[in-house]
This record gives sequence, C-alpha cells and structure tokens, in this order.
Amino acid sequence: MDKGRSVYTLLYVFFAYTIMSILALIYLMPFVRSIFASFMTWAQASAYPPQWIPNPFTLENYLKLFRLSYFPRWVLNTVFVSALIVAANTVTASMAGYAFAILRFPRKELLFSALLTLLMVPPFITLIPNFILVTKLGLIDNLLGLALLGSASVSGIYLMRQYYLSFGKELFEAARIDGADPLKSFFYVALPLSKPALGALAIYQFLGSWNAFLGPLVFLRSVENFTLPVGLNFAFSRNMWTEYTPIIAGSLIASAPTIILYVLLNKYMIKGTVVSAKKG
Amino acid sequence: MSFFEESRRIEALVFILFTLYPLTLNFFFGYFSMMFAFTLSLFEWDILTPMRFVGLRNFYEMFLEIAKGFHELITSPTLVYLREPFFNGLKNILIYTAMVVPVQTLLALVLAVIGNQKIRGSHFFRVAYFLPATTCPVIVSLIFIWLFMKDGFINYFVSALTAGFKPDWLNDPNFLLPAIAIVAIWGTSAHFSVTFLAGLQALPREVYEAARIDGANAFNRFVHITMPLLKPLITYVVVLGTIGALQMFDLAWVMAGSGGGPGGAGYTIALDIYNTAFIQLRYGYAAAKAVLLFAIIFTLNYYVQKKLEFARVV
Repeated sequence: MDKGRSVYTLLYVFFAYTIMSILALIYLMPFVRSIFASFMTWAQASAYPPQWIPNPFTLENYLKLFRLSYFPRWVLNTVFVSALIVAANTVTASMAGYAFAILRFPRKELLFSALLTLLMVPPFITLIPNFILVTKLGLIDNLLGLALLGSASVSGIYLMRQYYLSFGKELFEAARIDGADPLKSFFYVALPLSKPALGALAIYQFLGSWNAFLGPLVFLRSVENFTLPVGLNFAFSRNMWTEYTPIIAGSLIASAPTIILYVLLNKYMIKGTVVSAKKG
Repeated sequence: MSFFEESRRIEALVFILFTLYPLTLNFFFGYFSMMFAFTLSLFEWDILTPMRFVGLRNFYEMFLEIAKGFHELITSPTLVYLREPFFNGLKNILIYTAMVVPVQTLLALVLAVIGNQKIRGSHFFRVAYFLPATTCPVIVSLIFIWLFMKDGFINYFVSALTAGFKPDWLNDPNFLLPAIAIVAIWGTSAHFSVTFLAGLQALPREVYEAARIDGANAFNRFVHITMPLLKPLITYVVVLGTIGALQMFDLAWVMAGSGGGPGGAGYTIALDIYNTAFIQLRYGYAAAKAVLLFAIIFTLNYYVQKKLEFARVV
C-alpha cells in the first residue's frame, strides 16, 4: 500500500473513532452522571456548574431507600412478577411454538394468523376492557393478575415457532419414523435443541416485564403492591424525598439488572432481534 | 383404526394440549376485549351504575371536540388545553411524532452504520449505543427530569453553546414537548439502530465488492447501494416509530404529569384516554377515543405487515 493511501486510512480511522466516542458519550452520559450523583448529597448533585467527584462521599441515598419499608417491597414485587412471567412464557411459548411449527392440526395456519394479528392491536384499545375483566375476576391490585395477563405472549410463541421451523421438518419426521410420539419428540428432540431460543425469549420477557409501566399502573392499586417503575414514579410525584438523589439512586437500582443482563448477554440479544426481524 | 389415523389423533390432542392455554388467554384478553371495547364505545358507563346505550354520541362528542379545538386554536390558543383536552392531546402527539420520527430514524441509521464499521472496539460502541433501549422509559425520564432542571446538567452545555440561554425545559410550555422528544429520541434511536444493524449485516457483499472494483468510493457506495437496499427497512422503522410515538404515555406521564404539565404542553392522547377512563370514570367515552387511536395504529400496522411482509421485532 502506498503512503498516501495509509495516511488516508489513518485519517479515516481517527475520524471514525472521534464520532463513535462522541456518540458513545452522549448515549452513556445519563448513566455515568447518575452513578456519580448517587454518591453525592443533593446539595452537591444540584450544584451549578456540575461537579463530578462526590465530596463528601455518601451512601446515604441508598440507605434512605432501604430504610423506607416500601422500596424493598417494590424490588421484591418486580422480581416476583418478572420471574413468574419469564417462567410462564418459557413453558407456554415453547409448547405452543412447537405445536404451531411441527404438529398437524386442521386450520392450524388460520389459528396462528389470528394469534399473530393480535400483535397489531395497540394496548390502549384492550386496556379498559381488560381492566374491567380483571376487576370482575377479582384479580385487580394483585401481582398474580398482572403475571396472568403476561403469561403467554404472542411474540414469544412467534419466536419459538420461527426457531423450530428453522430446523426443517426432516428432523421431526425422522423422530416420528423412529416411533417417537409428538410428546416424546417435544421433550427429547425439540426442547434440548431450543436452549438458545429459550434464552433469548427469557431475556426479552424479562426486559419487558421488568420495565413495564402502563399495565402495573392500571392493574395495581395499593402502594405495597407497586412494581419498581410505578413505585419510583409514585415516590417522586408524592415528594417522598425532598432531595432528588434518592430517586437517582433508586433509578440506578431499578435499571441495574437490565443493564447488567444486556452487557453480559448482548450478543444473544442482538441475534434474537436479527432472527425475529427476518422475513416471517 | 389404522396406525396412521391413531397417530393423527394423538397429534391433534397434543396440539390442543399445547395451545389451549395461550389461545384461550390471548383470544379472551385480545379479541374479546377488543369487541368489548367497540361495544363499550357505544355506551356511557362508570362501572357503578348500569350501562346506558348512547349510540354514536361518544364519537359525535369526540369529533365535536376536535372541531371546537381547531376553532379555539385560532381564536384563543392559550385556553385549548383547558377547554378541549382531547384535541390538545391530538395536536401535541402529532407535533411530537413529527419531531421524533425523522430524527430517531436518521440517528438510528447513523449509529448502525458507525457500529457496523470493522474497527477494533466497535463491539464496545455497539453495546454503548444500545444501552438506553434496555432501560425502562419511566426510570430514564426520572433521571432526565434531574438533568433537564433549570440549573441542571443539560443546561450547562446548552448555555455554554448558546452564550447564556438557559431554558426552563420542564416548566416552560414551549420546551416541555421538545424535552420529552429528546428523551424519546435518545431511547428509541438506540433501539432501532439494532434493527438497522441487522439489516446492514444481511446486505449482499458481492454488490459492494463489484462497486469497489468499479471505483465507487465509500460515500457513493452508501448512497447508491446501501440506501436503496435499506429502503424497505427504513420504511419499516418509520412506520413502527410512528406507531410508537402516537401511543406515547410513560414519558409524558412522568415528565409532564398526568395533567400534561404547564399549559398542557405534554398532554397526549394516551394520557387523555387514561384520564377519561380512570379519573373521570367515563369508560364509554374513553373507549371511543381508544377506537380512534386503534383505527389509526391498526391501519399503519396492517400496512407494515402486508406491504413489507416484515415480521414485527419482538
């Protein structure tokens, strides 16, 4: 490569890194700033111009959260609902996805497209009727009611169906010829192969249920039943803390699980998005 | 009964066993709820007293409010938010969508192109760009409220760049909606960049090789190859972004409050549906408003699914 070319490449690389770093800074700044501020007193965190080094360094913001009896409850509630939804969805989506992909049934395609059409329905049209239905079922202000509503997601079933279809029919036909009935071929052929898809499904369901706001806001009534997003917003709007730093600390605690999960598993998540974004 | 028929029957039984619960649940809380909502939109109901059939009066009232809103927008624009909240929500969400969708699409494309460079460390940058999308919008809004304060972090840079201009983002009606839009763009551009990244990585390499041999530079390759090939995906992101923007709820709820903040500048249709149903307890009227939102969003969604044949991103 001649010299002019390498200078050009060097410039290009330098330019690319500069833009990439500026963008990364913009996208990460709110998190970075919050982490620093969560160890500051409110007086310092609200100082102008902004200060960076916590002085005095204090854990008081985090302690304040856990002194409040509600906050640990909110964490537990969110963990409970998310765990239930993830568990329920891995079971229902793998079973239904397998059925829709492999098993023969009259009018199967019609049933499936009827199910998929529900993805086009905006949540606001079903919100009010579902509120009334859940009330009539006696499940309002109940974390189980919230988990019930999210226990069999259409997108999850779709994801698993796509995954099983990607193996091709031959595999399951071979199992059938070897004498495996549909149940056996599900438990001994399909399930052992579906770990990566189930992982992606679990991550997405976890992100969705951990971050959910509208559902919990409508279906939960009493403060001790709130999930983290609803609870923190409640604490903020009711001025439960006169200073803002505990809210920042609480926000960090609330977003920590999803961020850690993403940083650890982002490869699989991006793959999951790619799989589901492909032509269906 | 032959072996063949027997196995068919077992298959059908297992199919029913495996799909009964998800189908029942989704059809009940999906289709039944939808029909319930359509029916409800023809009634006046506060749950406590019996339902009262009013025919199309809810829809009449809604369109009357829109018509009156247009009139007031010309005569007394400062009172629109008090007198015609639904119209105000409609107006705001259209402005908001017009602000958010173009910027988020462009930024997402830029992020994806940058993240797709084969440079050492590009993996780190991809992780950084997508991080906002993993965090709950409510939590993000709570953090941004603090960053958007008059003497806050964002204004520190804004005033440095504009020589002392320091808007009071959340208390000034002119800046509340842009502030919400900025938070939304920050989150959704991150989200859609992954969609674009997936699209970029699926592009055929041979075309690029051929263009390189023909002497096309990076810019020309992008304009003449990447953009045309990405066009369906761009349409997909624009329509999906519009669908999301029209239903915006969490950000407005936290940053503006359920009433829409100062001057009702942060009021949206979604907030209005919530307030009409759960605060005013006019479930029928709220359902009528939801039907309008449904009609718009379902049409857009239908367009994406049928025209582009792209499956929805989970």
